[in-house]
Amino acid sequence: MQNDWAEEHLHTIRTLMERVALYRRALAPVMFLTGGTGILFSICGPLLKVENPISFVIWWLAAGLVAFLLTLFVTRRQALKDKEPFWSNPTRQVIYSLIPPLFAGISTGIAIVIDGTIINPPFLPAFWIMFYGTALYAAGFFMRRGMKLFGFLFVIAGGIMLIVLALLKIPVDYNIAHLLMGIFFGVIHIGYGVYLHFTEKSVDEQ
Amino acid sequence: MNTDAFNQLDRVIHEKGRLAIMSLLAATPQMSFTELRDTLSMTDGNLTSHIKTLQYEGYIAVTKSYEKSRSTTTYSLTEKGRKAFTKYLDLLEQILKESRNKKI
Repeated sequence: MQNDWAEEHLHTIRTLMERVALYRRALAPVMFLTGGTGILFSICGPLLKVENPISFVIWWLAAGLVAFLLTLFVTRRQALKDKEPFWSNPTRQVIYSLIPPLFAGISTGIAIVIDGTIINPPFLPAFWIMFYGTALYAAGFFMRRGMKLFGFLFVIAGGIMLIVLALLKIPVDYNIAHLLMGIFFGVIHIGYGVYLHFTEKSVDEQ
Repeated sequence: MNTDAFNQLDRVIHEKGRLAIMSLLAATPQMSFTELRDTLSMTDGNLTSHIKTLQYEGYIAVTKSYEKSRSTTTYSLTEKGRKAFTKYLDLLEQILKESRNKKI
């Protein structure tokens, strides 16, 4: 009998603790840095003539790496400032959710490089936007502030973009591809960052 | 039945509602009254009563702030509260372990 209630109590405690263990780091700075990186790479890409499949994929994988490292730096700094462990349970859950879709997106890009497949460049951003959106959507289950919706909208936008690009039969144009990357991974992130900047604090204090 | 461990259980935390509040606050740096109430589906009166008891025992700290003509109240676990919660968990696990050993 005693065994039963003790087990029940522990189960309740575990469930409740998991339910509220959400990732609570301020996301506005992360969005600004990711957006800034996206815009910078989308401007420099055409200027530096990043205009073939291999260099395009490598260029944007590098942008992703830069954004990832900046995110790591900012979140670690926030954790140190709050005197909390960086590799906390919510952080682990968020990272584990991000990995499979991001890996799928990265491997798609690498496969294109290795195979040398000719792909109309603007299609690649559409694929990446969908994979990235899926990653955010999955991570959103362990985050607050509408991250799930943000990811969902990315998936929808990427999907619609694929269909529209196919219907329009647009010519091979790397400038369009860089522009699409700049809009989705740059401008939209900055916009979301601005929204978070003005709402994050007030919601946290509710 | 291990009556020794059972008798050592903190009666303040052992109550279902207070245990739930302590569990939530142990998992997160701080929570507002609204967040606690919504997560636990408690009435305002019930939650206030449990919070008062926990506060009286020194297990939770209350922070009040006023911003944009709106007052907010947040709760967090004190060091004493965290220790009491950890001890409570240890005792629960001890009870479970001993019960299982007896069955074997």
